[in-house]
Amino acid sequence: MGVFAVTGGSGGIGARTVMLLKNKGHETINLDWKKGDIQSDLSTPEGRQEAIDELHALCPEGLDGLICCAGVSGACGDLRRIVSLNFFGTISLIKGNYDLLLKKGGTCVVTTSNTISQGNLRMDLADLLNNNNDDEQRILNLVGRLDQTSLSVGDSVYAAAKYALARWVRRHSASYAANGVRINAVAPGNVNTAMTATMSTNAKMALNALPIPTKYGKETLMDPEEVAQVIVFLSSPEARGINGVILFVDGGTDALLNTEKVY
Amino acid sequence: MKTIEKYIEALENKDFEGLGNLFTRDGHYCDYCPNGTPQHEYHLYGKEAISMFFRNKFLFRQYSILEPVILNDRQAEFIASFGGYNVMAIASLQQLSSDGHIRRLTVRLK
Repeated sequence: MGVFAVTGGSGGIGARTVMLLKNKGHETINLDWKKGDIQSDLSTPEGRQEAIDELHALCPEGLDGLICCAGVSGACGDLRRIVSLNFFGTISLIKGNYDLLLKKGGTCVVTTSNTISQGNLRMDLADLLNNNNDDEQRILNLVGRLDQTSLSVGDSVYAAAKYALARWVRRHSASYAANGVRINAVAPGNVNTAMTATMSTNAKMALNALPIPTKYGKETLMDPEEVAQVIVFLSSPEARGINGVILFVDGGTDALLNTEKVY
Repeated sequence: MKTIEKYIEALENKDFEGLGNLFTRDGHYCDYCPNGTPQHEYHLYGKEAISMFFRNKFLFRQYSILEPVILNDRQAEFIASFGGYNVMAIASLQQLSSDGHIRRLTVRLK
């Protein structure tokens, strides 16, 4: 059985992933700012380094998997946090623990979002994140100048951060795999989590206008376990042929809205 | 009211359910106009998919029509706006079921 680190494992998709991995007999380490086995704030460079150091202390022999679920929604009201946690928090954890994954030929699964394909994103921000990601502070300063009160701005920043994350996975996947570490991403649709439960009425209206074909007529969101099952699969040896894939786990929303995108 | 008129009325009123209900269960909505706009062609199969799709497009203001004109029992033309990118379009009811539901509708650039 393996050792898996899961960021954001205290709630939502992360918590279900931890549960499923434990059910399969794996050891899990939850990195979360609250109720985590390792408690740190992944939105800050200091918090990330603490998490990386603690994980190295706990797992000197390496990791079988790193699963990155930590994140905040576009409606969280803090645009800088959307970028610092969702993008920088994730890629820093992966880069900082890559040596642990190398030791055991581990695998990495990143949680993005199906909003990456819906057109409403700040492509300039996504490009900055991918092409200048050693310049975190200046990018965050730029994001801090955007309208913090606008829901649509929040959504576009969120989608940009997730898009950049998905592209980061694609860009690194070949090199990682050549060294024995598979890396993939899931792109969930609207999932019933604490993040979505606390949304405003307007945000919920927008949410319902992103129909989930497998939930047709029910006005319900996806269950976190539907996504967690796919994450666990991607982390398993059964998925050994899959690398660099952004797998949409959205009940068919992306296919509905983008029938012509087959690649 | 003729089917083509109901179609235009549903688009003008942003009535995604009414629009979906004009189609047969496996009806095909095919719109080639988005080529050249920031969006892709629309190929939608089935009344539920058509309804869900336009719910999204209407709410996010990614699709609307202006200045519609009914040309005959099977055709109408209008200005289609894809998130503010306007094209002149002509919609044609290609196939109808015996009870008047749309089996295939195409929209092309005029």
